[in-house]
Amino acid sequence: MRILLLEDDKQLGPWIAGGLREEGHVVDHFDDGKDALIAAMGQEFDLLILDRMVPGLDGLAVLKSLRASKNSTPALFLSALGEVDARVEGFDAGGDDYLTKPFAFAELSARVAALGRRRESADGSKPVETTLRFADLTLDLLSRKCERQGQPIDLMAKEIKLLEYLMRRPGRLVTRTMLLEQVWDMSFDPTTSVVETHISRLRAKIDKPFNDALLRTRRGEGYVFGA
Amino acid sequence: MTPCYAHGVVRGMFLAPKWFEQLRWLGRSSTLRLAALLSAIFALGFVAAIFVALTLGERALERRVDATLTVLAQSSTIAEALGDSPSMILRPLDNLAGLPEPFRRAVERGRGTVHLRNDLMRSENWRVLVAADSTNQPVMVAVPVDGTADAQELLATILWTTAGVVVVLSLAIGVWGGLLAQRRLMRINATLSQLAAGDLSARTGHNRSKDDLDDMSQNLDQTASELERLVSQTRHLSASIAHDLRTPLARLRAQLEMLPDGDGRGAALEEANHLSGIFDTIMRVARIEAGHGRDGFAPVDLDDLAQDMVETFGPVVEDEGKRLMLETATPATVQADRAMLVQALANLIQNAMVHGGDQITVFVDGQNLGVSDNGSGVDPAQFAEIVKPMVRLDGARSTQGSGLGLALVRAVADRHGAKLHLDAIEPHGLQVTLDFTQM
Repeated sequence: MRILLLEDDKQLGPWIAGGLREEGHVVDHFDDGKDALIAAMGQEFDLLILDRMVPGLDGLAVLKSLRASKNSTPALFLSALGEVDARVEGFDAGGDDYLTKPFAFAELSARVAALGRRRESADGSKPVETTLRFADLTLDLLSRKCERQGQPIDLMAKEIKLLEYLMRRPGRLVTRTMLLEQVWDMSFDPTTSVVETHISRLRAKIDKPFNDALLRTRRGEGYVFGA
Repeated sequence: MTPCYAHGVVRGMFLAPKWFEQLRWLGRSSTLRLAALLSAIFALGFVAAIFVALTLGERALERRVDATLTVLAQSSTIAEALGDSPSMILRPLDNLAGLPEPFRRAVERGRGTVHLRNDLMRSENWRVLVAADSTNQPVMVAVPVDGTADAQELLATILWTTAGVVVVLSLAIGVWGGLLAQRRLMRINATLSQLAAGDLSARTGHNRSKDDLDDMSQNLDQTASELERLVSQTRHLSASIAHDLRTPLARLRAQLEMLPDGDGRGAALEEANHLSGIFDTIMRVARIEAGHGRDGFAPVDLDDLAQDMVETFGPVVEDEGKRLMLETATPATVQADRAMLVQALANLIQNAMVHGGDQITVFVDGQNLGVSDNGSGVDPAQFAEIVKPMVRLDGARSTQGSGLGLALVRAVADRHGAKLHLDAIEPHGLQVTLDFTQM
């Protein structure tokens, strides 16, 4: 992917750019908002990663200007402002994702991958599927029925939402924070193990009885479904 | 677990039409009340004065007519009485034949004014007096008094009309003044409501009149400006604190990640996570406290919210060997920031898991939302202490947590204008309630 990175911190900028390049992305790194805006106006990018507080023009203003000129490149905000109101500002400005500092690189990488994929599927303009299938597992979102190897599995509402989120991203790393935000709508980290507990319950229902693990834990990073 | 449900009627709201509201407002206008009172006093005064003036005037006229009648009687002799003429009736007292009944009654009283319905006697109003004639014999003498009665009537009409006009005018001026004052007061009131709802840019736009209301508007506008400045300062401050603290944390994390595995890297990362976790909580409380207004507020179904929380945290609580239950009674819908309520409830459930007993209940009762547990509870004397930031009671020092749990709950309650109640449960336990009734 071709990524525009706007980050003025002398340590974080090179760290992020270097990490993304190592993953095979092409990264244009800017530390001034105006330069980033000019670049984004003139060239085609697959993803924008914008820090909110930078010299010149802040990331929020950069994205607002781009969205005003009908630029729909996916954008991810990086910010030291992580509270609900700040996140809402980010999404209102046209952001697609919002990551609060400090973050693990794996977290950023997973979100970058998710946003890149979102762009691909949006281009194909496929209708949203209501029956998800992976190998011998089927999840019907309309009748809210799940079965594996022909055997019905009884899932709670949150488990269905969790499984749907995972099944729509087969083979992709999904982090704990991504799940908290998307499945539980929590932009904060409850000190209790909400994600771990629900993942282990889901696993006990969809994997354990069949002696075949579809849902794997990647230690310290997150979860991968169907790898 | 078996959640129990009880569904009730969501409280409806009756909205009166706008004009009715305005009328009620008008009734509460102090200027208008004063004007109405003054008009009433005016009217009463006028009625009394006109009544007295008319009565006294009539008496004076009667006395003058009576004096004339006495002179007339004295200058005649009944023997030479000419009888009745259109301008005078003169009769001996024993010969009242042909005169209508009211004349007789006036003669019995000695004097009187007679009003006749028909024109039999050519005049409608007569003054009757019993006096002595030149031979000192008592006679009845009467003259028509139509002219004076007409004059009296005209005078009464003029007085009553004047009184009516003055009262109506004073009332109209009062209403006008009241409406004017009301409009300005409504403006002040609307500004105050806007400020309370969080729009700190609201101003009364005080003006020209240089009176007490204007002084008040001016003071209000100054206070609002000051408030706006302070709030924006606080927001800037919290933003720069966040930036100044989270950036080094992010650098620390980046450097730790670049280290090779081992050498305590994992433990260091965990500590870094813990540090940013504590900072997140402090910032969250600070932002909620610094925030204002109802941005992001929407109707939140408390029943739905509580169910969601129980579904999310139930398995976590069960894994700790405890039970999380749901109790709802006539659940209501409140205007709230759902994400904040979720944070508050998550905190309460976590607190109960750490400090409470093995039975934790999320409850909704009307517009009350909260969490209770059957743990050892908290000494009511310490209730005020535990909602302060960073306070953990001595007994809880050994257990985990940053001590910010209830501070966040209090901040969320304050932001919603809800009341935070802490209650001891018999025989033991703690119940924390967010009461939205007063919102």
